[in-house]
Amino acid sequence: MTGRETDQPEPNPPGAMLSLQTRLSEITRLPVWIGELAVRHSIPREIEFAINVCLEEAVSNVIRHGYGEGEIGEVTVHFTQPEKKFFEFTVEDEARRFNPLDSPAPDSQAPLRVGGQGVHFLRHFATQLEYSVTPTGNRLRMVFSGENSGT
Amino acid sequence: MAITTEELAGGITKVVLDGRLDIENSPAVDSQMKAIADGGNSVLVDMSKVSFLGSMGLRALVGPALVIRGRGGKMVLFGPNELVSKVLKISGIDNMIPVHQELTSAMAALQ
Repeated sequence: MTGRETDQPEPNPPGAMLSLQTRLSEITRLPVWIGELAVRHSIPREIEFAINVCLEEAVSNVIRHGYGEGEIGEVTVHFTQPEKKFFEFTVEDEARRFNPLDSPAPDSQAPLRVGGQGVHFLRHFATQLEYSVTPTGNRLRMVFSGENSGT
Repeated sequence: MAITTEELAGGITKVVLDGRLDIENSPAVDSQMKAIADGGNSVLVDMSKVSFLGSMGLRALVGPALVIRGRGGKMVLFGPNELVSKVLKISGIDNMIPVHQELTSAMAALQ
């Protein structure tokens, strides 16, 4: 047999990487890119929403906490679809070591405050989270599952 | 994101948010919401046209709500879609800022 099975995802589809400069204004490119991937890979709307929440959080964390004031670097986001209903994003940077998953969950009994919700959102909206240190920075892998979305 | 305001009967200020409440729009919304919070004790925020809400966007809601509550006033949210509602629930904000799906109940909560 030649060619790909039609129900198999492309392991390395074109346009599956986005490079961003470490400026908060660059984050505006994320929803556009995610929207294009959602169309191309039939990502369900609720999963696309979850991806938007998590990538906004992960990338803004790198920019705000990983790099110093005025320090210019790069954040790359890779997308793969290891299985039909699984969507995997990996955020890589060359910033100082910063594990967003080390942050404590907000105290549900404490008075509500502004901020501190980001990691809570990552844990809730992503199916799987994995942080690792690379020789040059940090890597955060996030997997989103569409298994219960009816697709 | 577009923000429009309307004065309703009973001294209620209705604020309509339209678009993405994300990291890009959050500072401008925060600034405008704080100005609205400074001038009103009963604020109804129409979320029905908000397509996205992230953690940075939440700040634009929580800050003004705290200001209004600190003055003895009240702020309520109205009509968020299912996905935005999920963010509000996960964050616990719905315990502090009441969320209504019906306009009449939202307005009644401010009376």
